[in-house]
Amino acid sequence: MTDYLFYTLASTLVGMSLLAVSLPNLLHAAISLIASFFVTAALYIMLRLEFVALSQIMLYIGGIIIFMLIIILLTTGLGRENRHPVHKSKRLTGIGISFSLLLGLTYTLYSNPSELLTQKTPLTPAITMDDIGFRLLSTGANGFIVPFEIISLLLLVALIGAVVIARKDNGKETVQ
Amino acid sequence: MTLSHCIFLSLLLCAIGVYGVLTRRNLIGILLSVEVILNGANINFAAFAHFRAVDPVAGAIFPIFVMAVSACEMAVALAIIISMYRHKRRLDVYRLEELNG
Repeated sequence: MTDYLFYTLASTLVGMSLLAVSLPNLLHAAISLIASFFVTAALYIMLRLEFVALSQIMLYIGGIIIFMLIIILLTTGLGRENRHPVHKSKRLTGIGISFSLLLGLTYTLYSNPSELLTQKTPLTPAITMDDIGFRLLSTGANGFIVPFEIISLLLLVALIGAVVIARKDNGKETVQ
Repeated sequence: MTLSHCIFLSLLLCAIGVYGVLTRRNLIGILLSVEVILNGANINFAAFAHFRAVDPVAGAIFPIFVMAVSACEMAVALAIIISMYRHKRRLDVYRLEELNG
Protein backbone atom coordinates (compact mmCIF):
# COMPACT_ATOMS: atom_id res chain seq x y z
CA MET A 1 0.00 0.00 0.00
CA THR A 2 2.79 2.41 0.93
CA ASP A 3 4.72 1.41 -2.18
CA TYR A 4 1.69 2.01 -4.35
CA LEU A 5 1.18 5.46 -2.83
CA PHE A 6 4.86 6.29 -3.25
CA TYR A 7 4.87 5.30 -6.92
CA THR A 8 1.75 7.38 -7.58
CA LEU A 9 3.20 10.43 -5.85
CA ALA A 10 6.60 10.05 -7.48
CA SER A 11 5.22 9.71 -10.99
CA THR A 12 2.98 12.74 -10.43
CA LEU A 13 5.98 14.69 -9.16
CA VAL A 14 8.13 13.77 -12.16
CA GLY A 15 5.32 14.59 -14.58
CA MET A 16 4.62 17.96 -12.99
CA SER A 17 8.32 18.86 -12.95
CA LEU A 18 8.61 17.89 -16.63
CA LEU A 19 5.66 20.15 -17.39
CA ALA A 20 7.27 22.95 -15.35
CA VAL A 21 10.47 22.87 -17.40
CA SER A 22 8.89 22.32 -20.81
CA LEU A 23 5.63 24.29 -21.07
CA PRO A 24 6.07 27.31 -23.35
CA ASN A 25 3.79 29.59 -21.32
CA LEU A 26 5.60 30.55 -18.12
CA LEU A 27 2.39 31.08 -16.17
CA HIS A 28 1.36 27.47 -16.79
CA ALA A 29 4.88 26.33 -15.89
CA ALA A 30 4.73 28.13 -12.53
CA ILE A 31 1.32 26.64 -11.77
CA SER A 32 2.58 23.12 -12.49
CA LEU A 33 5.56 23.88 -10.23
CA ILE A 34 3.03 24.68 -7.47
CA ALA A 35 1.46 21.25 -8.04
CA SER A 36 4.85 19.56 -7.87
CA PHE A 37 5.60 21.31 -4.57
CA PHE A 38 2.31 20.08 -3.11
CA VAL A 39 3.20 16.53 -4.13
CA THR A 40 6.64 16.99 -2.54
CA ALA A 41 4.94 18.04 0.70
CA ALA A 42 2.92 14.82 0.55
CA LEU A 43 6.18 12.88 0.14
CA TYR A 44 7.63 14.60 3.20
CA ILE A 45 4.57 13.54 5.19
CA MET A 46 5.15 9.97 3.98
CA LEU A 47 8.73 10.28 5.26
CA ARG A 48 7.37 11.42 8.67
CA LEU A 49 8.79 14.93 8.39
CA GLU A 50 5.68 16.99 9.02
CA PHE A 51 7.54 20.19 9.86
CA VAL A 52 9.42 20.15 6.56
CA ALA A 53 6.14 19.53 4.73
CA LEU A 54 4.50 22.50 6.44
CA SER A 55 7.42 24.80 5.77
CA GLN A 56 7.50 23.60 2.16
CA ILE A 57 3.88 24.65 1.72
CA MET A 58 4.31 27.95 3.56
CA LEU A 59 7.68 29.04 2.19
CA TYR A 60 7.73 27.65 -1.33
CA ILE A 61 4.08 27.75 -2.33
CA GLY A 62 3.02 30.69 -0.19
CA GLY A 63 6.14 32.75 -0.70
CA ILE A 64 8.51 31.99 -3.53
CA ILE A 65 6.06 30.82 -6.17
CA ILE A 66 3.61 33.64 -5.53
CA PHE A 67 6.52 36.06 -5.87
CA MET A 68 7.51 34.38 -9.11
CA LEU A 69 3.94 34.53 -10.46
CA ILE A 70 3.85 38.27 -9.77
CA ILE A 71 7.12 38.74 -11.65
CA ILE A 72 5.85 36.65 -14.59
CA LEU A 73 2.71 38.77 -14.76
CA LEU A 74 4.78 41.97 -14.54
CA THR A 75 7.28 41.10 -17.23
CA THR A 76 5.39 39.09 -19.81
CA GLY A 77 2.22 41.12 -20.11
CA LEU A 78 -0.40 39.25 -18.06
CA GLY A 79 0.84 35.81 -18.91
CA ARG A 80 0.60 36.39 -22.64
CA GLU A 81 2.44 33.86 -24.72
CA ASN A 82 6.04 34.95 -24.84
CA ARG A 83 7.61 32.04 -26.56
CA HIS A 84 11.03 32.16 -28.04
CA PRO A 85 11.46 29.10 -30.20
CA VAL A 86 14.31 26.83 -29.18
CA HIS A 87 16.20 25.17 -31.98
CA LYS A 88 15.69 21.45 -32.22
CA SER A 89 19.44 20.78 -32.09
CA LYS A 90 19.78 22.68 -28.80
CA ARG A 91 16.82 20.82 -27.35
CA LEU A 92 18.41 17.52 -28.37
CA THR A 93 21.71 18.61 -26.83
CA GLY A 94 19.91 19.42 -23.56
CA ILE A 95 18.16 16.04 -23.58
CA GLY A 96 21.49 14.31 -24.26
CA ILE A 97 23.39 16.09 -21.49
CA SER A 98 20.70 15.58 -18.86
CA PHE A 99 20.15 11.97 -19.88
CA SER A 100 23.86 11.16 -19.69
CA LEU A 101 23.98 12.86 -16.27
CA LEU A 102 21.05 10.69 -15.16
CA LEU A 103 22.67 7.54 -16.52
CA GLY A 104 25.98 8.23 -14.81
CA LEU A 105 24.40 9.02 -11.45
CA THR A 106 22.10 5.99 -11.65
CA TYR A 107 25.06 3.72 -12.45
CA THR A 108 26.92 5.15 -9.44
CA LEU A 109 23.87 4.62 -7.24
CA TYR A 110 23.19 1.02 -8.21
CA SER A 111 26.84 -0.05 -8.24
CA ASN A 112 26.92 0.73 -4.52
CA PRO A 113 26.77 -2.60 -2.66
CA SER A 114 25.40 -1.15 0.57
CA GLU A 115 22.44 -2.96 2.12
CA LEU A 116 21.17 0.29 3.46
CA LEU A 117 19.74 1.25 0.10
CA THR A 118 17.20 -1.56 0.08
CA GLN A 119 16.20 -1.65 3.73
CA LYS A 120 12.45 -1.53 4.17
CA THR A 121 12.14 -0.23 7.69
CA PRO A 122 13.68 3.02 8.83
CA LEU A 123 16.42 2.76 11.42
CA THR A 124 15.90 6.20 12.91
CA PRO A 125 13.20 7.15 15.40
CA ALA A 126 10.48 9.55 14.32
CA ILE A 127 11.41 13.24 14.48
CA THR A 128 9.04 15.53 16.33
CA MET A 129 8.62 19.24 15.89
CA ASP A 130 9.94 19.81 19.41
CA ASP A 131 13.27 18.22 18.47
CA ILE A 132 13.65 20.48 15.47
CA GLY A 133 12.79 23.62 17.42
CA PHE A 134 15.13 22.87 20.31
CA ARG A 135 17.98 21.95 17.98
CA LEU A 136 17.52 25.10 15.89
CA LEU A 137 17.90 27.36 18.89
CA SER A 138 20.24 25.40 21.16
CA THR A 139 23.69 26.80 21.85
CA GLY A 140 25.18 23.41 22.67
CA ALA A 141 27.71 21.44 20.69
CA ASN A 142 25.14 20.20 18.15
CA GLY A 143 23.01 23.30 18.10
CA PHE A 144 22.12 25.25 14.99
CA ILE A 145 21.95 28.72 16.51
CA VAL A 146 24.83 30.17 14.47
CA PRO A 147 23.52 29.09 11.03
CA PHE A 148 20.06 30.23 12.11
CA GLU A 149 21.32 33.72 12.90
CA ILE A 150 23.43 33.85 9.74
CA ILE A 151 20.37 32.90 7.69
CA SER A 152 18.37 35.71 9.27
CA LEU A 153 21.18 38.16 8.46
CA LEU A 154 21.30 36.81 4.89
CA LEU A 155 17.56 37.34 4.51
CA LEU A 156 17.92 40.94 5.68
CA VAL A 157 20.82 41.60 3.29
CA ALA A 158 18.93 40.01 0.38
CA LEU A 159 15.88 42.15 1.17
CA ILE A 160 17.89 45.38 1.16
CA GLY A 161 19.84 44.31 -1.92
CA ALA A 162 16.66 43.48 -3.82
CA VAL A 163 15.20 46.88 -3.02
CA VAL A 164 18.39 48.65 -4.08
CA ILE A 165 18.71 46.72 -7.36
CA ALA A 166 15.06 47.00 -8.38
CA ARG A 167 14.79 50.72 -7.56
CA LYS A 168 14.30 53.08 -10.45
CA ASP A 169 17.58 54.89 -11.08
CA ASN A 170 16.65 58.04 -12.97
CA GLY A 171 19.74 59.89 -11.81
CA LYS A 172 18.07 62.76 -10.03
CA GLU A 173 17.87 61.69 -6.46
CA THR A 174 17.57 64.60 -4.11
CA VAL A 175 20.09 64.98 -1.34
CA GLN A 176 18.51 66.27 1.79
CA MET B 1 9.52 2.66 -0.46
CA THR B 2 13.21 2.26 0.22
CA LEU B 3 16.09 4.69 0.28
CA SER B 4 17.16 3.84 -3.26
CA HIS B 5 13.70 4.73 -4.58
CA CYS B 6 13.92 8.17 -2.99
CA ILE B 7 17.45 8.74 -4.29
CA PHE B 8 16.41 7.72 -7.79
CA LEU B 9 13.48 10.14 -7.62
CA SER B 10 15.79 12.98 -6.68
CA LEU B 11 18.20 11.99 -9.50
CA LEU B 12 15.30 12.21 -11.94
CA LEU B 13 14.35 15.65 -10.63
CA CYS B 14 17.98 16.81 -10.94
CA ALA B 15 18.15 15.63 -14.57
CA ILE B 16 14.83 17.33 -15.38
CA GLY B 17 16.07 20.58 -13.83
CA VAL B 18 19.36 20.44 -15.76
CA TYR B 19 17.38 19.91 -18.96
CA GLY B 20 15.28 22.98 -18.15
CA VAL B 21 18.32 25.12 -17.36
CA LEU B 22 19.93 24.13 -20.66
CA THR B 23 16.91 24.62 -22.91
CA ARG B 24 14.93 27.53 -21.49
CA ARG B 25 15.45 30.87 -23.18
CA ASN B 26 13.59 33.04 -20.68
CA LEU B 27 15.40 34.03 -17.47
CA ILE B 28 12.37 33.27 -15.28
CA GLY B 29 12.16 29.82 -16.86
CA ILE B 30 15.76 29.15 -15.85
CA LEU B 31 14.93 30.15 -12.26
CA LEU B 32 11.94 27.77 -12.30
CA SER B 33 14.25 24.93 -13.39
CA VAL B 34 16.71 25.72 -10.59
CA GLU B 35 13.81 25.36 -8.15
CA VAL B 36 13.18 21.85 -9.49
CA ILE B 37 16.84 20.92 -8.82
CA LEU B 38 16.65 22.29 -5.26
CA ASN B 39 13.45 20.32 -4.71
CA GLY B 40 15.27 17.12 -5.63
CA ALA B 41 18.10 17.91 -3.23
CA ASN B 42 15.60 18.50 -0.42
CA ILE B 43 13.95 15.14 -1.06
CA ASN B 44 17.38 13.53 -0.76
CA PHE B 45 18.03 15.18 2.62
CA ALA B 46 14.62 14.12 3.90
CA ALA B 47 15.02 10.53 2.70
CA PHE B 48 18.40 10.11 4.37
CA ALA B 49 17.05 11.64 7.58
CA HIS B 50 14.13 9.22 7.53
CA PHE B 51 15.89 5.98 6.68
CA ARG B 52 19.34 6.16 8.13
CA ALA B 53 21.22 8.99 9.77
CA VAL B 54 23.41 9.34 12.80
CA ASP B 55 21.62 12.60 13.50
CA PRO B 56 18.15 12.61 11.89
CA VAL B 57 17.16 16.02 13.27
CA ALA B 58 19.94 17.70 11.31
CA GLY B 59 18.54 16.11 8.15
CA ALA B 60 15.19 17.67 8.89
CA ILE B 61 16.73 21.09 9.58
CA PHE B 62 18.80 21.24 6.39
CA PRO B 63 15.86 21.50 3.93
CA ILE B 64 14.65 24.51 5.91
CA PHE B 65 18.00 26.24 5.41
CA VAL B 66 17.87 25.36 1.72
CA MET B 67 14.43 26.95 1.50
CA ALA B 68 15.62 30.13 3.22
CA VAL B 69 18.65 30.49 0.95
CA SER B 70 16.44 29.79 -2.04
CA ALA B 71 14.09 32.58 -0.94
CA CYS B 72 17.06 35.00 -0.75
CA GLU B 73 18.26 33.90 -4.16
CA MET B 74 14.81 34.35 -5.63
CA ALA B 75 14.42 37.86 -4.20
CA VAL B 76 17.74 39.10 -5.57
CA ALA B 77 17.31 37.33 -8.92
CA LEU B 78 13.86 38.76 -9.42
CA ALA B 79 15.13 42.26 -8.60
CA ILE B 80 17.83 41.77 -11.24
CA ILE B 81 15.17 40.54 -13.69
CA ILE B 82 13.00 43.59 -13.08
CA SER B 83 15.85 46.02 -13.63
CA MET B 84 16.95 44.12 -16.74
CA TYR B 85 13.39 44.14 -18.08
CA ARG B 86 13.28 47.90 -17.57
CA HIS B 87 16.42 48.35 -19.66
CA LYS B 88 15.89 45.86 -22.47
CA ARG B 89 12.16 44.95 -22.50
CA ARG B 90 13.17 41.36 -23.26
CA LEU B 91 14.27 38.51 -21.02
CA ASP B 92 15.72 36.35 -23.76
CA VAL B 93 19.10 35.00 -22.70
CA TYR B 94 20.30 34.92 -26.31
CA ARG B 95 20.18 38.70 -26.34
CA LEU B 96 22.10 39.24 -23.12
CA GLU B 97 25.55 39.30 -24.63
CA GLU B 98 27.18 42.51 -23.47
CA LEU B 99 29.85 40.56 -21.63
CA ASN B 100 30.45 38.38 -24.66
CA GLY B 101 34.12 38.88 -25.47
